[in-house]
Amino acid sequence: MDVPYAVYLHIPFCRHRCAYCDFNTYAGQEDSLSSYVQALCNEIQAVGAGVSLPVRVGSIFFGGGTPSLLTSAHFRDIFQSLYRAFEILPDAEISMEANPGTVTLAALEQLRALGMNRLSFGVQSANPNELRLLERIHDYSDVVNAVLWARRAGFDNLNLDLMYGLPEQTLADWQKTVNLVTGLDPQHFSAYALTLEHGTPFGRWASRGLMPTPDPDLAAEMAEWVRDFWAEQGYEHYEISNWAKINDGFKMQNEKFDSSFRIYYSAFVCRHNLQYWRNLPYFGLGAGAHGYAGGVRYSNVLRIKTYIERVRAGGAAVRWPLTAAAVNQIPIHRETEMDETMMTGLRLVQEGVADAAFTARFGVSLREMYGREIDELLGFGLVEWKTSGDSGVLRLTRRGWLLGNQVFMRFLRGY
Amino acid sequence: MTDHIRNFCIIAHVDHGKSTLADRLLQVTGTISDRDMTEQVLDTMDLEREKGVTIKASAVRMNYHAADGRDYELNLIDTPGHVDFGYEVSRALNACEGAVLVVDATQGIEAQTLANLYQALSADLEIIPVINKIDLPSARPDEVAEDIAALIGGNAAEVIRISAKSGLNVEQVLEAVVRKVPPPSGEDQKPARALVFDSHYDSYKGVVCYVRVIEGTLSANETIRLMATGVEVKPIEVGIFAPTMKPVSRLKAGEVGYVATGLKTVHDARVGDTITQANAPAAEPLPGYFHPKPMVFAGIYPVDAEDYSDLRESLEKLQLNDASLTYEPETSQAIGFGFRAGFLGLFHMEIIQERIEREYDLDVLFTAPSVEYEVGMSTGETLRIDSPAQLPDESKVTEIREPWMNIEIITPTDFYGTIMDLVIKRRGTFKSQEYPAPHRVQLNFEIPLAELIVDFFDELKSRTKGYASLDYQFLAYRADALQKLEILVNGEPVDALAAIVHEKDAYHKGQALITKLKDLIPRQLFDVAIQASSGGRIISRANVKAMRKDVLAKCYGGDISRKKKLLEKQKKGKRRMKMVGNVEIPQEAFMAVLKLGAD
Ligand SMILES: Nc1nc2c(ncn2[C@@H]2O[C@H](COP(=O)(O)OP(=O)(O)OP(=O)(O)O)[C@@H](O)[C@H]2O)c(=O)[nH]1
Ligand code: SF4
Ligand SMILES: [Mg+2]
Repeated sequence: MDVPYAVYLHIPFCRHRCAYCDFNTYAGQEDSLSSYVQALCNEIQAVGAGVSLPVRVGSIFFGGGTPSLLTSAHFRDIFQSLYRAFEILPDAEISMEANPGTVTLAALEQLRALGMNRLSFGVQSANPNELRLLERIHDYSDVVNAVLWARRAGFDNLNLDLMYGLPEQTLADWQKTVNLVTGLDPQHFSAYALTLEHGTPFGRWASRGLMPTPDPDLAAEMAEWVRDFWAEQGYEHYEISNWAKINDGFKMQNEKFDSSFRIYYSAFVCRHNLQYWRNLPYFGLGAGAHGYAGGVRYSNVLRIKTYIERVRAGGAAVRWPLTAAAVNQIPIHRETEMDETMMTGLRLVQEGVADAAFTARFGVSLREMYGREIDELLGFGLVEWKTSGDSGVLRLTRRGWLLGNQVFMRFLRGY
Repeated sequence: MTDHIRNFCIIAHVDHGKSTLADRLLQVTGTISDRDMTEQVLDTMDLEREKGVTIKASAVRMNYHAADGRDYELNLIDTPGHVDFGYEVSRALNACEGAVLVVDATQGIEAQTLANLYQALSADLEIIPVINKIDLPSARPDEVAEDIAALIGGNAAEVIRISAKSGLNVEQVLEAVVRKVPPPSGEDQKPARALVFDSHYDSYKGVVCYVRVIEGTLSANETIRLMATGVEVKPIEVGIFAPTMKPVSRLKAGEVGYVATGLKTVHDARVGDTITQANAPAAEPLPGYFHPKPMVFAGIYPVDAEDYSDLRESLEKLQLNDASLTYEPETSQAIGFGFRAGFLGLFHMEIIQERIEREYDLDVLFTAPSVEYEVGMSTGETLRIDSPAQLPDESKVTEIREPWMNIEIITPTDFYGTIMDLVIKRRGTFKSQEYPAPHRVQLNFEIPLAELIVDFFDELKSRTKGYASLDYQFLAYRADALQKLEILVNGEPVDALAAIVHEKDAYHKGQALITKLKDLIPRQLFDVAIQASSGGRIISRANVKAMRKDVLAKCYGGDISRKKKLLEKQKKGKRRMKMVGNVEIPQEAFMAVLKLGAD
């Protein structure tokens, strides 16, 4: 009956910090790589040891930072711990984020051999000026090489990450980037609008007027254009910022809450991310990682050194699956879980939130719970009801997908 | 037996260091131990502490062993310096025989220095001039001493020079108080007459009246009568501020203290009233003093209509401590049910807004302040309105009169030109100039109050690098070519955004206001058209385009909490806006009309 868990592993090392990035990652701490991997293995073990029954895992995701900075020996150790701690399903999706400036054919071959089956390259742009402004450590030829090597190494599930709405970027610039990367024929795209984060060089430059703030209307145009373009190119838009190449239909597991509701997706949708959006459980491992399992959202201590120390010191875990590294935890009560299910589920632009699935999960229908909010949003034309199988499905409209915050916000009732 | 009593207050222009000097006096006399000392101890309100400004006067009793070997009872009243609270000063003066006039050695004489000094002189108080902040490198004590001597007579060398911050020479202030301020002269045997010079509300003790006993005595055992209202009540206690409330058995003639009345509304115990004993009443009350008249008026609306009754309750409670606040219910077609409130000035209004939001945790919306107009109607009647929304149809109006003020601007001579320019731009006229002290010029003008409340003060400060200061009094109502400037949102007039402007400013102000509103009104889920109209014509229009994109990007590594926090923050911001029809309008938009003066 149980939904398999997802596992997120955070690798907070980067060679250089990109100018827009506010992730929990550190440059110049490569000295700690090995002891970090050691700690990560111990944390995996601690989670595995916390329960008697085998824990089934359907997806594993190495995120960062830059996981591609780890050696294959590091990965071997981590995989060993993972297989010891969990029951990894045979068809599990095992992905890794990689910086195109840090990979080699040999390293990719070794990763593939270890069982990694999906790669996500941070491309961001094909325009040399934009890459320089973003302070990425690679150029576009590194991207082309990385993709070719990945294919040669046997990866047939590749994602490319792109950013739009960059300072001074024109629609034509964006179209050129998209045209180039689409030519590489990956299985999946993620496209994110740049947000200027406080405390990053971008945030500072913009607030001091050294850099123009991107125009949100232009960003909207870029988003709308790319959506049409990728639709023509045979990519399915399945989440606000994600597209997967259409091939033979692939039935996703959704039976837990409602057997009558199924959705057919491309085989290349990111199953790990689906777990987040469906508001299903995942473990967060590593410094600053976030998890949601056992009815709590929790997160680990941010700094690498402290993380290593805390894991090394061990000590009694507060509650499974939190480990000694956890510093925050919020129990998620039923009401909050409902709100969060809406907030994350509506990001899935096709799947949306099925009334039957929601009712099966919470024992109360969408209308009963959110009648007023739904009516208001229907009035604005931001959401729509659609029938899928025998269930009504609430989802964003075409107009609503770029105004998602206006929708999600209304489902947060502040518990 | 009042020889050993000295009642005095500290008066000064804002920020010249009254409260800091009071701190030192409390320390020197051992009223507050060094351990319990905080900065500006008498400023007890959160808001006072945060803004570093005294809002309410406060009284405290100190015991002092003077150089002459005798023990004195000193009653000190600290007063606010801000022009809006001038009436607080006038009340305090009536409870004293002397005033310590503090002048900042770096700023010199300013407008409220003069205003408060003149009030103290006309109340017949002994003035003890003190120059403060002599520790600062930019202090000019000699020059300031000369100015003071020129102003009040006497010898510049005799002016006490202190640093309230370091405590330097503050004992000299106490010695001067003991030596120069006369003891109160009232007699204990006469029927009791005590002046209520302030009050605050305490949930246990009811209205607490701050009193100066002029004649006779008061005790908690005897029923008192408030002479103006005729209310009789047996007080819960009488006491002194030492510095917190401390009950005593009896307050005697000449003493300053409090009477905790147990009364639940301030209307029964008004500031300015006289307290006497019910069984042996005095024949005549003391001369009361003026009740401050509100100068500016603004609508106060709950952002969420459901908070209406909480808002009313908060206003009631605030009025208990602040009798100068007036309010009555008002209904706006655009923004629903609220109150029209009257304030002493913009600063007073700001204080009230912050107190409502902070002490009562309510999200409220204030509309732009207005003055009170007199409208002559073709029927011959005169209408008094304090909100542009109340202005009747123009065809029925023969004349609109507005309040004019006398203003005195005190400034170093260099800023003469720029001040002239500012006043003329604001429809003011020059009357005369005086030289109250060698280094100061005083410029006297007449100006419409409506122009004064539109960031005049900020503009004056910025044009004079902070050196000019101003004081004003009501002059007269005068007719002028005034007309309503209306704002329409999606075709509907929004009464709460309307303003009354001079005919010749209507076009320019309409345009400026639309430009401001276009920036202030956030983009909504649909286009919002805003227009300004005056004299039956549309003057200006703009369009706030519908938002196209508002969505958070990456759900980074499963960090749902952060995403949720951002959304919750966004939602909270949205809740703080007022729905006008289906358009969300932020608080700043309602104040935009105030910021037009500078352009
Ligand atoms: N350097 C220096 N600063 C002082 C001195 N006395 C007061 N100050 C500072 O001047 C500022 C204003 O002091 P307050 O005592 O609050 O002034 P006030 O006259 O009570 O002000 P209002 O109540 O707002 O009218 C504070 O920042 C004090 O720290 C002094 O002797 N020397
Ligand atoms: S590579 Fe990724 S994680 Fe590292 S600094 Fe750049 S954006 Fe941030
Ligand atoms: Mg003060």
